[in-house]
Amino acid sequence: MTTHIGPSSGTPDESRMEPREAARLLAQTQADARRSLDFRAPWVSLVAAVVALAGFGIVWLNVRNQHPFTGPSPGSLVFFYGLIALRIATVIYAYARARTGISGHSVKVQRNEAAAMGAALLVWYVLLIAIATSAHHSAAFYWSLGLNGTLIVLAAIWAGRSAIHNSWQQVALAVAVALIAALGAIAGPRGMWLVNGVGLCVLLLATAGIGTSRRRGTRTHTVRTGA
Amino acid sequence: MTAEALDPLIHVPARLQIMAALATLPDGDQLSFKRLQDMIELTPGNLITHLRKLEEAGYLTTSKTGSGPASRTSVALTHDGRHALEIYATTLRGLLNGVSAVPAASGSHLDRHGAEL
Repeated sequence: MTTHIGPSSGTPDESRMEPREAARLLAQTQADARRSLDFRAPWVSLVAAVVALAGFGIVWLNVRNQHPFTGPSPGSLVFFYGLIALRIATVIYAYARARTGISGHSVKVQRNEAAAMGAALLVWYVLLIAIATSAHHSAAFYWSLGLNGTLIVLAAIWAGRSAIHNSWQQVALAVAVALIAALGAIAGPRGMWLVNGVGLCVLLLATAGIGTSRRRGTRTHTVRTGA
Repeated sequence: MTAEALDPLIHVPARLQIMAALATLPDGDQLSFKRLQDMIELTPGNLITHLRKLEEAGYLTTSKTGSGPASRTSVALTHDGRHALEIYATTLRGLLNGVSAVPAASGSHLDRHGAEL
């Protein structure tokens, strides 16, 4: 859009406000702006919760009676990775929508963080391939390391990134994800799908619930201010 | 203290909204004219006039990138602008605390926002 900010010939809407009305407008505008600029909306967490429960759940149903454990069937893996792709697509959509029109320092920082996360994941997968090719291990070992290890690595990167930004709620969320993955590793190659699915689903639902109640709380407070 | 103590340049609904919306961005970030317009629901003409006033006061900067139909205008709060909004919020808090009819929640809500500005 082409916009020229030239000299003004007069300012419309110069009406003054009562202090209480100004306080209400200030709080309401900032609450709305924060909501609009934040891509971590409750619905994104809700989609992630459903994805976690359905994705891990379908694989668990597939492997729970395997003795010995041989790994998920190709069909269940297609479903699992399809849901992960859906989760990634919703995050990209929410992020693009929230960040439209923003430029500057924080955008560059976020690009660098994404590149660093991608590089760290790449190194992790190279390490996994090296482990797989260096010696013969059971399917249980590969799947446990591939699933729980990846979740722990992702959580550790996210916790580090969030700590740098003093975002302690996100640090707590990342630590909880790592703990769930650790419990999954303890649960074994069959139980880990159930533990991770239910654990992540509950965690993400709690996150969505906290986000929704905070947004409602801000709205109620703002209305009270202007009452 | 009376409402006269409030910065008259900010104490106008549209300009208060512009300043408040821009203050939620981290330091060093800019917002496009179109996005700002969508956020505070002003007509382009109105928004330009108010932006011009705030820019003249040194509270914000506008920058244009590109040319022709692809050009884009971005707006950012300056340090002076951020400081002016902080003072405005502090003064407003003082005014509200002096008015006994305002519920206690109002003050705490403003405190929270004032602290973040």
